[in-house]
Amino acid sequence: MKDDSKNVVDMDGMRVDDDHLLSMYIDGELDAERTISLAGRLKQEPALRARLSAMENSDRLVKKLYASQSADAGQALAALIRSENVAIFKPTARWREWATGAIAASVMAVVALSLTSEQSTFNPMTMDVHLAQALEHSPSRASGWEQLDGARDFRSVLTFPAADGRWCREFMLAHNESHWRGVACRDEGTWVNQVVGSEVFLERETQYRPAGAGDTEKVARFIDETAADVALGPQQEAALIASGW
Amino acid sequence: MSSLTAQQRQDLIDELPRLKRFCLSLTSDPSDADDLLQVTVERLLEKGMPADAHVAKWSHRVCRNLWIDEIRSRDVRTRYAQAEGAIEGAGTTTENSDESVQLDRVSAAMERLPPEQRAALVQVAVEGCSYAEAAAILEVPIGTIMSRVARARKALTEDLEWKAEREA
Repeated sequence: MKDDSKNVVDMDGMRVDDDHLLSMYIDGELDAERTISLAGRLKQEPALRARLSAMENSDRLVKKLYASQSADAGQALAALIRSENVAIFKPTARWREWATGAIAASVMAVVALSLTSEQSTFNPMTMDVHLAQALEHSPSRASGWEQLDGARDFRSVLTFPAADGRWCREFMLAHNESHWRGVACRDEGTWVNQVVGSEVFLERETQYRPAGAGDTEKVARFIDETAADVALGPQQEAALIASGW
Repeated sequence: MSSLTAQQRQDLIDELPRLKRFCLSLTSDPSDADDLLQVTVERLLEKGMPADAHVAKWSHRVCRNLWIDEIRSRDVRTRYAQAEGAIEGAGTTTENSDESVQLDRVSAAMERLPPEQRAALVQVAVEGCSYAEAAAILEVPIGTIMSRVARARKALTEDLEWKAEREA
């Protein structure tokens, strides 16, 4: 059977051997005439029967292997698909390295930040020179932080064009144990916060979770309503930063 | 905002297990398969699909194209080295269950198959597609599916037999 030169037949212009015939037999793709012929041979040829049995056993194992590996397919993705208010700005993938551009409006769980005297007098999202410099020069990243100053860590998430022609950046700040998320747009050379929020829960960057009814989702909604196009890729963004916006 | 209709969303959810297996057949790596599935769903939500599109075929096509883009961007030598390492590791399993050993063997053997043969075999042998259906999903002629499936079965069967004989 391992000698492909044996039992080679012509089938619709293709030369096929016993392994091809057995494979088509398993799949029910042989025509009636060849099926009858092969069935006759299987009765008389133990080696051919053994080969068929081995192939069928391989199929059984492959089915079992794939059933076991796909058993947990897509519960989280199903929730994402069901969410109607989802905007994907850039696909997420570990193997793309450049990740976390997916913005799920129903997921970000952003609570509007009340910049009032009720909170600490220190507002980490205040647009100061450190934050403006980071927005001006730092590339977006999927993970990790860069130290902004003594108290805050910064990460740009993505860069996108607004409908009014300005460039905007979504970014995150970490201060103490809290994470903050916001969008700032570049307005005649000056970065201006457009919307900011503190994150209630964001266990993993790529994890989508439905927001509670009380969450305001301001950041996500702002991006959804403002963005004129998808987020820039890393090379486009690098070129934009290098050009001075 | 996604342009998928409610019915397309439901069809896509129903398709997820099969799409996951398709990802596995393309990547032969569970982590890569998870990533590919995630990216495929995100792409479908981002781009939507025509109202009259067949969700299964459309999603498989998007998935396949994304994987082609990915493998083009990867360092082939790195992937080869990783595959070699995985193969070497596969032979050192200490599983004591016969079925587990067999699944390990078939997993390693599937990994060694050329990707196009693996994908064809999974569509036909696992998903139960006819050659014509598999040809439509993988966008190749029916004769190519026939040939790839047969060559995949031949290689897989001989690989498993050889492995079993060596370890006997």
